[in-house]
This record gives sequence, C-alpha cells and structure tokens, in this order.
Amino acid sequence: MNISCPNRNSCFSIVCLLLFSVCIRFGVSAQETELILISAGTFTMGSDSRAADERPMHKVYLDAYYIGKYEVTNAEYYEFWKLQESNSTDMVPQHTPENFSHLPHIGDWPTRAEQFPNYPVVGVSWHDAAAYAAWKGMRLPTEAEWEKAARGYTNRIWPWGGAMEPHANTAAMDDGYENRLAPVGSFPKGKSYYGAMDMAGNVWEWTADWYSDVYYWYSSQAAAKRPKQNPTGPTAGSWRVIRGGSWIDAITRCSTTFRFYLYPNLKTSFVGFRLAKTAEKASK
Amino acid sequence: MRNWLKIVILLWLCLPLFGNAEQKPGDHSRYVQHVERGFVLMFEGNNQEAISEFEAALTIESQHAEILHYLGMAYAQEEFLNKAIESYERSITLMPDNIEVLYSLGVAYFNLDKWADAVAPLQQVVELSPEHARGYEVLGKSLVKLRRYAEAVPVLKEALVLKPQAAGTYYELGTAYLNLKEYATAIENFKQAITYGPARYADPHFGLGTAYLRLGDREKSRAEMQLFQQYQKEYAEYERLTRLTRNEPNNLEAWTGLAAMLMTQKKYGQAIQVFQKCIELDPNNAHFHHGLSRAFMNLNYPKHAVEAARKAIQLNPGEAILYNTLGSVYAMQGNSQNAIAAFQKAVELDGEQPYYHLNLSRLYEGMGNQRLAQEHYRVYEYLLSKQK
Repeated sequence: MNISCPNRNSCFSIVCLLLFSVCIRFGVSAQETELILISAGTFTMGSDSRAADERPMHKVYLDAYYIGKYEVTNAEYYEFWKLQESNSTDMVPQHTPENFSHLPHIGDWPTRAEQFPNYPVVGVSWHDAAAYAAWKGMRLPTEAEWEKAARGYTNRIWPWGGAMEPHANTAAMDDGYENRLAPVGSFPKGKSYYGAMDMAGNVWEWTADWYSDVYYWYSSQAAAKRPKQNPTGPTAGSWRVIRGGSWIDAITRCSTTFRFYLYPNLKTSFVGFRLAKTAEKASK
Repeated sequence: MRNWLKIVILLWLCLPLFGNAEQKPGDHSRYVQHVERGFVLMFEGNNQEAISEFEAALTIESQHAEILHYLGMAYAQEEFLNKAIESYERSITLMPDNIEVLYSLGVAYFNLDKWADAVAPLQQVVELSPEHARGYEVLGKSLVKLRRYAEAVPVLKEALVLKPQAAGTYYELGTAYLNLKEYATAIENFKQAITYGPARYADPHFGLGTAYLRLGDREKSRAEMQLFQQYQKEYAEYERLTRLTRNEPNNLEAWTGLAAMLMTQKKYGQAIQVFQKCIELDPNNAHFHHGLSRAFMNLNYPKHAVEAARKAIQLNPGEAILYNTLGSVYAMQGNSQNAIAAFQKAVELDGEQPYYHLNLSRLYEGMGNQRLAQEHYRVYEYLLSKQK
C-alpha cells in the first residue's frame, strides 16, 4: 500500500513532533540502555571484616562484560510492559510492576512511569527483571559481576571509596531524598570506580544468583589454586541475591560487599535491577 | 428520553465492572501496603510491629507462602516460637519444597528443645539442597541433643566441609566424639572450636576438661575447667548487663559495663551502638566518645573515628590517651603530620607512657627519619623496663 504525502515538509514536521512528544513523555525512554564495559580480569570479592556470609576475601576472575550505568528506569520498563499489554494472552505471564498507591512518591503503575520516568523501576519481581533483561537481549548480573562493578580493583567499602559519605540515597536524613526514591544518577559523587551510578542505595538490585550463606567460602576454595572463573552462584535455593541497599536501609547495608536476599516472586518498593551483558571476545 | 434510557442501561451494564475494579485492587493495595511496612519495620529490627503488619496483610490475602515465612521469622526473632512454627507450617502447606522455610522450621523446633521434631524438616533441607551448610549444622546439633552421636558425626563433618571455620559445629562434633569415647578426636575438635570461636568461648573448655579427665590427665583437665568457669562467669555478666539494659534503658552504668565488655570481646559493631547509647544518656562524657572512636577505628572507619576522638578531646583536652587514639587514626589514614602532632601532644601530657613513644618511633621509621625513630624507641624500651 502506498501512502501519499502531499507535503513532505509537513510529514517530516509531524514525525518530528511525534518523536518529540514521545521523548518529552518518557524522558530517556527512547535512549538505548547505557552500558559500561568492565574489562576482563581478577578482582577481590568478599570481606574478612564484615558479615559472616561475606567471608572470606578471595580472588575471582571475570571475563569482560557490560553493566548498566544506571538502574533500569520506569520509562525503560514501560516500553517492555506496553508491548506485553498489547500482546496479552493468558499463556504469557504479564510482567506488571506492583502498585504502591500508599507511597505518594512512587504511586500506581503505569501512571508512575509517566510521572517519574527517570526513577528506577520498583515493584518488579526477579522474574519480571529477568524477562525484561531477556527482552533487551541482556541478562541480570551475577553476584560477582555486580560486586566487581561496585567496588572496582581497590576494594572500596562503598562505590565511591572507604569513607561513610552521603553519596547515596539511603535511610539517612542527610542525602536530600528522605523516605523516597531518587531519580537514577542523582548522586554523581557516589559513582563506582567504573562509573556505575547508584550501586549503593536507592534500590536493591536483583542479581542472577541464588543466595547461599557459604557461597563465598565455596568460591574461595576454588580460588585457592587459581581464581574462580565467572562464578554463577549456587545451583539451587529459595532466595535470589539482592545487592546495594536501598532508600529504606542504613548506609552500612549499602556497602559493596553486603549481601541480602529476597524471594524471587516478591515485588517491593525497594528492589529494582540493572542489566548486564557478556562482552564478545575480541577475535584474534 | 431515549438517550437517557441508553445511558442508564449502559451504566447498569458497567456496574459489575466498576465493582470489581474498586474492590479487588483496593484490597490488594492494602495488602501491599502492609507487606511494605512489614519489611521496613523488620529491617529496622522492630519485629513486633512487623508482625502486626504481616498479620494484617495475610488477613487480606492469606495464601502467600513467602509472607508467612517472613511472619514466622519475625515471630522467631521475638522468641514466640510456637507462633513462628505455626506460620512456617502454613507456609510449607503452600510451598512444600521451600528449603528456607523448612530450615526455619527445623531451627524453631531446635530452639524449643523439640529436637526430634527438628530432624525431619532439616533432613528434607539437606536432601533438597546438598550444599546447605546451616541445614547440616542444625541437623547435626539436633542429633547430638538426641544422643544419636554416631549419626551426628557424618552430618556435622559434612557441615564442616561446607563451612569449615564454624566453631559451634566443631564443638558439637567434639561432644559427639566425647560421647563415642574417641577422646583424642574430641580434643582435636574442641581445640578447633576454640581456634575459630569467639574470644573467651567457654563451652569447648568444658569439653576439653572432660576429655582430659577421661584420659587421666587431671592437671590439664583442671586448667580447662578453670577457664570454662571464668569464661562462663563473664558470659553470665554479659547476659546480666544485656538484660539490664533491656529492662532499664536509662541505666548508664549497665550500658558502660556492656560497652567495656564488648570492646574486650572485640565485638566492635555492637560496641558502637552501645557507646552511642551511652553518649545519648551522657553527651559530655569524653570516655564514651573515646570508646566510640576506638570501636570505629577497629572497624576501619577512620573518618568517624577522627570525629569521635576530636569530640573526646574537646570535652577533656588534658587526657593523653585521647591524643594517642587520634594519632593512631591519623596514622591509619596515612596523615603522618597530624599523627605526629597528636602523638607528641600525648607524650607532652604523659611522658611516662611507653606506647606513645613506640607509636612515634614507628611513624618516624615509616617516614624514613631513622634518627628520631631510634630515639623514641630507646625511650620506649627504657620506660617499659622501668614499668616492669
């Protein structure tokens, strides 16, 4: 079918206007996910001086991978959700975020996607997050990938360093976002060694791994001979690991090594996610 | 008129839709609200209110295995173990193979001294998840309590393969071997429990004392039993102080004693909280700020340690040890100039304390100033010999 366009300029204007209005409505939604390349190499995982499940400190080798610079936003998730709505069948599970009408700063979905496009999407289960990642041709980071992206090579306690500074949205009352979420990237001083934002606070982030309190010990056993290669966590479990702490947590729970867990089908206002992707190896 | 009729019919047809749309999501919204509040309260350690929230959520939507598990955990934290078991069992009905609920159920039975009841869910845990160290650990402990020592040994050994530095597991294994009359192996395990356990861990000394006695070594047995009694007394004191602070939250003496005990036991994280409570009760006491600084320093939070040490000095500028602590933190931060100034001030206020000179000596040595390093080291040695 041919579509005639009497006036090319006016057509162009209409298209531009449409694009513009979409951009205005959903902020960064039209942009591709911003990824950071984390080069291949060995890093130190865990801590000897903190909680029992973070022990011991051990070396882990990871191939190069990409990690989302920001947590996935409402606007980004909205595109995925919208597509599912239009393809709705009983056979396909619908990945709709939980509504938080009792939290005025978050509110109902999808209204919140329009009102707060640059806020991290919350109220998503692990399954929702994994489905979104697959839709984007990516995946959730493993626990090891998450930790390396957060602490870098210098074993930082928090993504920005070793000092307890208000560079993250936590439960503390001095970060400018008391009892509420913050738009992604609101704490530029809190960026990690690699430049990833909000790896401490704002929202916990789902990782791909099951939780086990002795997982780090296992990793370290393998690392005794040579660093564990690209670990993917325990083979079974009840809980998925979440990392980074959130707006409801004390800063001590937002450290780069603090590990926590949640049932994968729970949807809460304090857990979101970021994406990861394996980097293709350069051909020789 | 006809239009009005159409509108009325249309509205009537739509009524059920409106009804569903308002009632169902409204209820679910309240459920979500209670769950959210429950989580926040639970993370804050306010289990009692978390329980109310989870209960309220489950009144609205009762079939949530996960929330039942969290409710059970909150009950268990508050030591309402029967209520916890009830919640776990409801959760298991909905999700029978949930490893973590089964584990929680086993632990709750164990803590209620219902060891026989703990065995079945814990066995299920290790069958479903063969890498579940905690499952093996509590299962082994239950078997020891049930005097099924021969069965306990392989279970506890597996727990140690999965989690090798678990002092409590070594202790239980030692107990199992002791009762199996394998005294040498029992001694080995009790010693491992002491190696990996917290400072002043009393129970393994009792095990050692008993094992040595059965081997006929009375001297060693007596020594171990003495240590056991001493550490048990300390533990009893710790328990007493903890109870006292719980029952009388404004009892500064109890908080002070607890803080000192936690510092001795190197439980710095807990000590920080206790010192903060002391400061809340007596804000102008330099001793508490100093203690806080030392706890922060031991946990490698130099910035907070400096702040607390400065506050202590501000409150009591004539006390040498405060400057020594400040100097140590500066040294930790690599700020040699400030560290030297602080140590020198400590020496100025109390020149007879050898360790202030030792700190200065080490600092100068690190800076390559061998002359001053040796000078202070000589003073340190002299003062130390004088003290002896």
